[in-house]
Amino acid sequence: MALKEKIRKQPNIPTASMGDIAFLIIIFFMVSTVFTRDKGIKMLLPEKAEAGKEVKIKPENIVMITINPVGELRVKAAGHDEYLKPEQYNEVRKIVEEKLFEKDTLLVVSLRASRETAYKNMIAVLDQIKLCKVTTNDGRELRANKISLIPTSEE
Amino acid sequence: MRKSFIRRATQSPNIPTASTADVAFLLILFFMVTTVFRTSALHLKLKLPPAGATERILLRRNIAHLWVDTNGKVFIDDNVVPLDRVSVKMAPKVWENPELVTILNIDEGINYGVVDKVLDQLKDAKAFRITFATEFGS
Repeated sequence: MALKEKIRKQPNIPTASMGDIAFLIIIFFMVSTVFTRDKGIKMLLPEKAEAGKEVKIKPENIVMITINPVGELRVKAAGHDEYLKPEQYNEVRKIVEEKLFEKDTLLVVSLRASRETAYKNMIAVLDQIKLCKVTTNDGRELRANKISLIPTSEE
Repeated sequence: MRKSFIRRATQSPNIPTASTADVAFLLILFFMVTTVFRTSALHLKLKLPPAGATERILLRRNIAHLWVDTNGKVFIDDNVVPLDRVSVKMAPKVWENPELVTILNIDEGINYGVVDKVLDQLKDAKAFRITFATEFGS
């Protein structure tokens, strides 16, 4: 008798909190997800120069930066010829910004790193060039966009 | 008329909550299906150089990764590639997707000569859009 009565009772699973549990899972995964975003310095490489197709640039529009194996720099531009120690890399920015203001979009920064120098030094100098930002007299914002990485084979 | 208005107000409102679980699980499934996992997670020990001009790269579809580890070995797609074969490996990728951006993950202690050779190979493969992977900082 007692057994029969138990069977007749409808079993009942509470589903009211299912939504809460599901949202809890969503929130847990949202919080614990780590996005691995790529980051870095963008560059556009030039096409390989063919013989006779080289672009001539006036020497006064060029800032030539040379890095030696130890990481010391020589910055050569019209009116500048300076030797910089690794701790003076921020001087590069001052010189390039000054030239950028003077030459506007004509300026070409050419970066020539020695084969033996550490990649770190080259990036540190490239970083300084990329950080350059000048506002012209007519309110335009200028950046050093023309950067050329000179192949070491031309040393 | 008046009576019916009053009757409506006395009815207790009832929001069905039975389907919230379904909605939430649907959201979970949607995000599970649309999530793209990084297939190219190569756990190489290398230290990227710091740079203040570091930018985030927003396009995730047009990206190819290239690694150079502390020993100067070049890796593309989990394979060691000899320096002079980089262009052979990269050329079909650029052919498939001309917008391809190659991200160069190069250890900071590597000699620039190796980097220069890699750049030269990339020029051969017509992979002109590159990014030097760096860490935030100066």
